Amino acid sequence: MKTMKVTFQINDEKVTLLVKPYETLLETLRERLALTGAKEACGMGACGACTVVVNGIPLRSCLVLAPEIDGANIVTVEGLRKDGKLHPLQEAFMEKGAVQCGFCTSGMIMTAKALLDRNKRPTKKEIVRTISSNICRCTGYKKIVEAVEDASKRL
Amino acid sequence: MVLPKFEYKKAQSVAEAVALYKEQKGKAQYLAGGTDLIPLVKLGLSTPKTVIDLKGIEELKVISRRDGWLAIGANVTLFNLKNDPLVMKYFPALYGSLDATSCETLQMRGTIGGNILQDTRCLEYNQSREWRTARGFCFKMGGKECNVVKGARACFSNYCSDNAPSLITLSAQVKLAGPKGERTVKLESLYTGDGRKPFALEAGEILTQILIPMKKTKGAYEKLRVRDSIDYPLVGVAVSVTGARARVCVGGVGLAPRVYDLKNVGDAAVKEAAEKAYADARPVTNATLTPVYRKKMVGVLLKRTIKKVLQEGK
Repeated sequence: MKTMKVTFQINDEKVTLLVKPYETLLETLRERLALTGAKEACGMGACGACTVVVNGIPLRSCLVLAPEIDGANIVTVEGLRKDGKLHPLQEAFMEKGAVQCGFCTSGMIMTAKALLDRNKRPTKKEIVRTISSNICRCTGYKKIVEAVEDASKRL
Repeated sequence: MVLPKFEYKKAQSVAEAVALYKEQKGKAQYLAGGTDLIPLVKLGLSTPKTVIDLKGIEELKVISRRDGWLAIGANVTLFNLKNDPLVMKYFPALYGSLDATSCETLQMRGTIGGNILQDTRCLEYNQSREWRTARGFCFKMGGKECNVVKGARACFSNYCSDNAPSLITLSAQVKLAGPKGERTVKLESLYTGDGRKPFALEAGEILTQILIPMKKTKGAYEKLRVRDSIDYPLVGVAVSVTGARARVCVGGVGLAPRVYDLKNVGDAAVKEAAEKAYADARPVTNATLTPVYRKKMVGVLLKRTIKKVLQEGK
């Protein structure tokens, strides 16, 4: 099988891998790097459960081909913890009870992280707009929006 | 969902992309944001031997203003285009449609060129291979008849770009580059009306630029969908008003957007256009709302959009 060599930064670590040309970034993360925070739900880019931040932009990793990420800087939910301390978003999600079944959570947090990185104090309307990119089938949106609001105050 | 096997090539220039396409003897697909192509490949609806990534082509990521035109590179993402101050100021219909396209995260990935050249959609078409095999292949999949309108030897799939209708109201042109050279055509002439090949593109042609005449317009875009957060349009209406004249374009129903030119935006002219658009729209049972409702909403949205433009006085 023909493979391709890709080098990228993931959660502050440099990684070089041989990937299949038709492999998705989600498969690379979950199956090659054991980073199972990003989840596969729809696999078609509709739900957002597989969202990771690539070069500052939240991307649905199920739609990104592994060879495309050569040279990229990727942050997954596993990379949010710094020096043993959780990210304010993770703290807020726990404290506000913004997790029900948990399947959408890592995608929600990564989408929210990209929002807070580009806009430190988003309005509630902006948070709702951004979060609506991701689907929570437990429909726990209210708590999720509250958690993002809370996290923005802690930053 | 696992992707079938293909090769991946990345082009650094338009010429290189075209050369790669020629090398692959027509068995390649161009990839930009991938929000349309990757799901189609996963479902087996597109079967490229090689995927040629256009994202490395820097010249396609530029928005520039020259000689009375706004030239938008085809690889500009919907999100970046939406946030360009010129778009909001000069082309409110385009701003509206960009803002209404899918969700924010996908706007950051999807490109304007890819949005225009997205494949047409149908509830009986965008399904897994197993689902489609059980049902029997339709006209668009290479079968003999339509699975929605029994006996029909044509395709009734819907063209679901939000931004093509608004660009058409702005008299946009598109620049294409391919093995036979470059050409520039009006956006509305890009549609064939044939579901098997919805775009009048030569093999290997790349949409490189979208050109909009730099004229200040008033405008708006209204869209019918079930979930406001993400859905494709079930009907989309764009309106751009320049002076007394208005250009209206209806998308989301059928294989190509429909354009209506209004000499004025008086009540009689608007009513006439709404009735004509209603009569022209031929929705079938291939989307998540009933055809009767969608047909009715064509006229309603057309009137609503014009009213919005006049009220806001943008």
